[in-house]
Amino acid sequence: MLITQKKVDTVKETVNGLSTDETLKVERRLDGQLWAGRNGDATAVQVTRCFPWSQPDRFISLRDDDEKEVALISQLSDLDKESRLSVEGALIEAGFVMQIEKVLSINEDFEIRHWKVLTRQGDRSFQTKLDDWPIKLPGGGFLFRDVSGDLFFIDDVENLDEETQKHLWAYIG
Amino acid sequence: MIKKENRTNVDLITRYTDQPAKMPDQTREKIEKHWNNSPIQLYAIADLDAMMQLTLQWVALGEKTLAIVSVDDQGCESIRNIHLAMIESLVESPGLSNTTLTLLGAPGDPPLAVIRYTQRQRRAMENIKFLIEHRIEGHDIDQAEEPDELYSKAVTSSIRKAQASVAVNKLAVVWRLVAYLKPYKGRLAFGMGSMVLLTLVSLLPAYLTGYLIDNIIRPFQTGSLTYSSAMHTAWFIIGALVLTYLVRVFSMWIRLRSMSVLGELVAMDLRRNLYEHMQGLSLNFFSSKQTGSLISRVSSDSDRLWEFIAFGVVEVIWALIMLVGLGTVLISMDWQLGLILTLPIPLFIWSFFVHGSQMQRMFLRAWRKWSAVTEVLSDTIPGIRVVKAFNQENREKKRFNDRNVSVVDEFNGIHAVWTKFWPLIIAAVHILTVLVWVFALPRVLDNGSALTIGTFVSFLLYMGMYLQPIETIGMMARMLNRATSSAHRIFEVLDTKPEIIDQKEPIKLEPVQGRVTFENVTFAYDGIRQIIKDISFDIKPGEMIGFIGPSGAGKTTLTNLIVRFYNASSGRILIDGVDIRNLDTGHFRHQVGMVLQDPHLFHGTILENIRYSKPDANINDVVEAAQVANAHDFICKMAHGYDTIIGERGQTLSGGERQRISIARAILPNPRILILDEATSSVDSETEIKIQQALDRLIKGRTVFAIAHRLSTLRKATRLLVIEDGRVTEQGTHDELINKSEGTFRKLYQMQQQLHDSYVV
Repeated sequence: MLITQKKVDTVKETVNGLSTDETLKVERRLDGQLWAGRNGDATAVQVTRCFPWSQPDRFISLRDDDEKEVALISQLSDLDKESRLSVEGALIEAGFVMQIEKVLSINEDFEIRHWKVLTRQGDRSFQTKLDDWPIKLPGGGFLFRDVSGDLFFIDDVENLDEETQKHLWAYIG
Repeated sequence: MIKKENRTNVDLITRYTDQPAKMPDQTREKIEKHWNNSPIQLYAIADLDAMMQLTLQWVALGEKTLAIVSVDDQGCESIRNIHLAMIESLVESPGLSNTTLTLLGAPGDPPLAVIRYTQRQRRAMENIKFLIEHRIEGHDIDQAEEPDELYSKAVTSSIRKAQASVAVNKLAVVWRLVAYLKPYKGRLAFGMGSMVLLTLVSLLPAYLTGYLIDNIIRPFQTGSLTYSSAMHTAWFIIGALVLTYLVRVFSMWIRLRSMSVLGELVAMDLRRNLYEHMQGLSLNFFSSKQTGSLISRVSSDSDRLWEFIAFGVVEVIWALIMLVGLGTVLISMDWQLGLILTLPIPLFIWSFFVHGSQMQRMFLRAWRKWSAVTEVLSDTIPGIRVVKAFNQENREKKRFNDRNVSVVDEFNGIHAVWTKFWPLIIAAVHILTVLVWVFALPRVLDNGSALTIGTFVSFLLYMGMYLQPIETIGMMARMLNRATSSAHRIFEVLDTKPEIIDQKEPIKLEPVQGRVTFENVTFAYDGIRQIIKDISFDIKPGEMIGFIGPSGAGKTTLTNLIVRFYNASSGRILIDGVDIRNLDTGHFRHQVGMVLQDPHLFHGTILENIRYSKPDANINDVVEAAQVANAHDFICKMAHGYDTIIGERGQTLSGGERQRISIARAILPNPRILILDEATSSVDSETEIKIQQALDRLIKGRTVFAIAHRLSTLRKATRLLVIEDGRVTEQGTHDELINKSEGTFRKLYQMQQQLHDSYVV
């Protein structure tokens, strides 16, 4: 139990580094940046999800320009409404991935696999290495990483059309 | 003129991405017109809009302006210009699969622009960000490359890294491979001739059988041929059959032998060309490729090509000749039965092709699952202590078993498909056989028919022969893919041009005096991010120079430029007053000794390793070099002395011992310039003292460049150059720099002293 207690303290301490969840204020300012702080002593921050796939709404880390953690939000509901909306807005950009809705073709070429897909964000062609397989995500769904590092998410294969499922059969499941 | 590399990058963008291969000329003209004809220096695409939807937005950087060009659905462009002077800072916010770059003006003001892009555009956008930041800091950068080149290079960098080679016409690759057969025309003709002979001869036994039945057995049975006449002809037939078999066996032997040797010779030529070519390539090439990938090109790819040349090519040609030969023979014997057998051939080839594709897909799934099994193995076997320490054996057993069962399920699925396919093919052949019987028998039994029983039997025998060539042709696409892929990986290396090329009549400095001059030298590995920025210094022969500075400041890059591992992007490097680019590089490097932080020793004896720098050195010189390097003592303590074989990469020796051998190797040719790059940083204090003693002896009479983290080791340096962010920020003697208040060297020195006082008892 000692270990568990220490863990809780560490999280709390980090939160208290600048401010606690209760007093933390986060806002999107005119300069387009997200600012976090307490009593007007604010810092420009960027948001990072600590568990982007398994617990996307918990443990949001706010980091300054030097990537030093300014605050750790254990859950978004701890924030006041304005702050929460600001953080949620920032999380949309920070957690952006392209969501595949249809696979048009998958072809093998020299050492790479060439995909043509329709995503929720628009049409896209991308390439993966021949021995790179999709990652099964802890919260469900599959994630493909292309050679540039772009991420493509498939939520539920069974909701996709038959042709797409046929294309994906060798890669998923 | 468009460079070949740029052409390749443009091809890659067109082939693999949905974005333009370059900025359209009209867009470029429009932007430059806005800028009073000031040229675009760099450009990139920002492919995400504010709603995080994929879009097309050009971001172009000029000398004083940044333009953002939005293109709407109708292709209309709107240009927004931002003066660089207004930009005070840039904020880069990386997301999971995107980056947002915010251009900020005065504090508190709304952002000048927010640019969003996916990872594919990151490199090109980073180039722009880098230049803007440098301009904000007041530095200007000479840009050697064209914006089109930089854009295409940046967009395709990840594809080029992942794909060893650039996809081109596969047939062109095969033709190029065929060119390697030219020196062995005779052997090739011999092998191919034997193969053709073998194929044709294979058709004879079935024909002879039919002839035997129709012209000997049947006439004898009907009494139109006497026993002695029949036997007389029969012996001829048997003789012909024996001869056929002999020729067949002989031509098979010739074919196998000629083609396998031919394959080996071609593979040897490819390996030799490849290795020789690799020796001449610049370090840039090796840093851009993974070692494993390069090794596999020399080993497994060339081996795969041997297989293709020795067997693949021959089998495909054999299959084609066999099918044409069979078709011709069958139709000429009886056109009706011939058509029954030849018409379904395309259907058979198609079914093999479809089956092959289906199997490939199933194997892909099975291999994916198989890699999950090996993943557990490669996780747990090296980490077995951790598994046991946390008592997780059962969990690991379950993890392995689950994946093991899953892979077996996949392979069982594969077995279910192919075990059905082959009986179906055989069933189809049986149907054809029945059809042949159905059509043939009434005609055989009909006395007036032209179809003899011999022809009928020949047909039945030929039927058993034509399945294999069909299967071979069905598999041809896969075989061709594998071979062209291997050939292309090899040709990619062969097509890479060395960056360091000597002039036609290079200058040989005999001997090098050791004066090294940098004149406004700038260097960037990627053409954009300058690692060395406008550095100038003049080192006199015999001086010892210490390079000091934080990691990544450019110290090692400076030493790499001194030995011309790379050419400076701009400025000049002079050795004894001669431009380094005019020197005979090999001859010059022979007069430079290098001792690196992680010395690489080769498999072989200590003697061979020390002699590596001067293979003809006499034994006295070797021992003397080892003594100077403080290596002689520990070498002689070993049972086999200088003849001790050291393991791969010298791993049987300690770090300090390896380092001292590498010092002996470096000084054996008596180099005029000595480079010591962190030579003592990875050894313990006692060893460091020994190495330092050795180095102190070496520096006399040579120009020495030393990089060291421990500043105390550079006390003997004539001058110290502090390198920060690619620039020389301080220089002077040890004492001069120590006394310089607020100096970087002084701060570093004091920090090290404090660390030393705190931790050393």
